[in-house]
Amino acid sequence: MTDVHVVGVGMTRFGKHPDRDAADLGAEALHGAVADAGIDPRLIEAAYVGHVFQGMVTGQRVLAQVGLAGLPLSNVENACSSGATAIREASLAVRAGEHDVVIAIGTEHLTNKFRGALTPDPSDPEAAVGATMPSVYAMRARRYMEEFGMTREQLALIPVKNKSNAARNPLAHFRKEITVEDVLESRPIADPLRLHDCSPVTDGAAAVIVMSDKAAKKHSNGRAVRLAASALRTGTVDVEPASMTFEPLTWATAQDAYERAGIGPEDVDFAEVHDCFSIAEVLRVEGLGLFKQGEYPDALERGDANIEGRLPINPSGGLIGKGHPLGGTGVAQVVELVRQLRGESGDRQIEGPRVGLAHCRGGKAVGIEGAACTVQILIR
Amino acid sequence: MTGSAVGVSFRPGELEVRPDGSGNLLGSRCGDCGAHFFPVREACSGCLSSNLETVPFSTEGVLYTFSIVRQSTPAFEVPYALGYVDFPEGVRIMGQISGIELDEIKIGMPVVLSLEPFGEDDEGNTLTGYRFVPAEAHSD
Ligand SMILES: [Zn+2]
Repeated sequence: MTDVHVVGVGMTRFGKHPDRDAADLGAEALHGAVADAGIDPRLIEAAYVGHVFQGMVTGQRVLAQVGLAGLPLSNVENACSSGATAIREASLAVRAGEHDVVIAIGTEHLTNKFRGALTPDPSDPEAAVGATMPSVYAMRARRYMEEFGMTREQLALIPVKNKSNAARNPLAHFRKEITVEDVLESRPIADPLRLHDCSPVTDGAAAVIVMSDKAAKKHSNGRAVRLAASALRTGTVDVEPASMTFEPLTWATAQDAYERAGIGPEDVDFAEVHDCFSIAEVLRVEGLGLFKQGEYPDALERGDANIEGRLPINPSGGLIGKGHPLGGTGVAQVVELVRQLRGESGDRQIEGPRVGLAHCRGGKAVGIEGAACTVQILIR
Repeated sequence: MTGSAVGVSFRPGELEVRPDGSGNLLGSRCGDCGAHFFPVREACSGCLSSNLETVPFSTEGVLYTFSIVRQSTPAFEVPYALGYVDFPEGVRIMGQISGIELDEIKIGMPVVLSLEPFGEDDEGNTLTGYRFVPAEAHSD
């Protein structure tokens, strides 16, 4: 069976794009990935396009913009994991020997559709009693603070770090550093979370081109990064109430990825994790086994998760700093891993990383812990 | 039940409202392994049995965690308290918390189910929904 290699990556600036739509953002990301790979776009044999709120056949609208008609294409929806799931599908097509060159795209135009907090589908029994996405994470934050003694100031270190990283990322939604005071004085959304604890509503797209051993040898010019694992799970249904301060779904998906890649959490040099809210970063890095449960708040205080730290988390700025265009998010994480592993990340470059991990999870359905979770491991 | 609105349940599959104004949250009990689920479902996720019956849950539970929601959809007036309550059957159910000052709500607090006016149907009739209220305030 062939390995899978990421050969070209591209993304748009993340932010507000009032005059554009998901199709032309996706096309810009595709062009970026093709240019980065240095290939003729006609080499692309198949496409997987992740998006959530963009309507039917958005992927076909992206490809129509660039004149790549006739390819097998699948649109992929898995909530916030849609783009990451598109990469997994692309990698499976290569691994199965069906295709040698496949593109995965994630695209989303949200700013004309949403203002304020995203809510679960109104048919959801929890939405019916007033659940919003921030309130569910706020409740997890409150419980974590109660169980592990995390302070509100420690939690604020996450938006401070991620927005500082974003300030060093020219493609990020936010380019301004903030302080702990800024976080604590920002508008309350759902106690204890405030505006700076939340990822923004963002437009943007990202694309990656994956290749088989054979195609990578021919086209990569030595810049390929191996996609060593691309794991996907859906949440299990709880038979009794589970802890809301640890994520069995993130843990199980990570175990799948570590096993496939032949590494353990101790081998990971840096990670992009799904920090849709500040507390989410805590739950994710602990669920991934990168930090022990209850220990991330102190690690933040020591600077362990900073770009210059022992284990940088969200060097791109994460969802909080770089932005969160649902379908685009998971693909943009892999773009960041590839650029860091190639040493092309400019002001926010981590020193000499070899193993990067990307984690997404999203979606809500009552009775299951999480709808879809992905963990991808890239090795230089 | 005290001060409960008599009416039509806002979600009849999840909340049973009786003519006397009392009611219960409804869920499934597995006839094979005894596990409980909220809301009602087709099969047991513990043992995959389809031998499930719909049962009313206890009205008393313990607050697992909560938040004060300060930004929401137009359907809800902010601020309001939202919490997860653990019931003796082994289910955790979300609901709003009322009958207490927002800054006095605490994790671990015993609460009871309270039927209250909750939204309207398409014709503007008030529906009956549920909130959780502190157990002490309720026992009079
Ligand atoms: Zn059972």
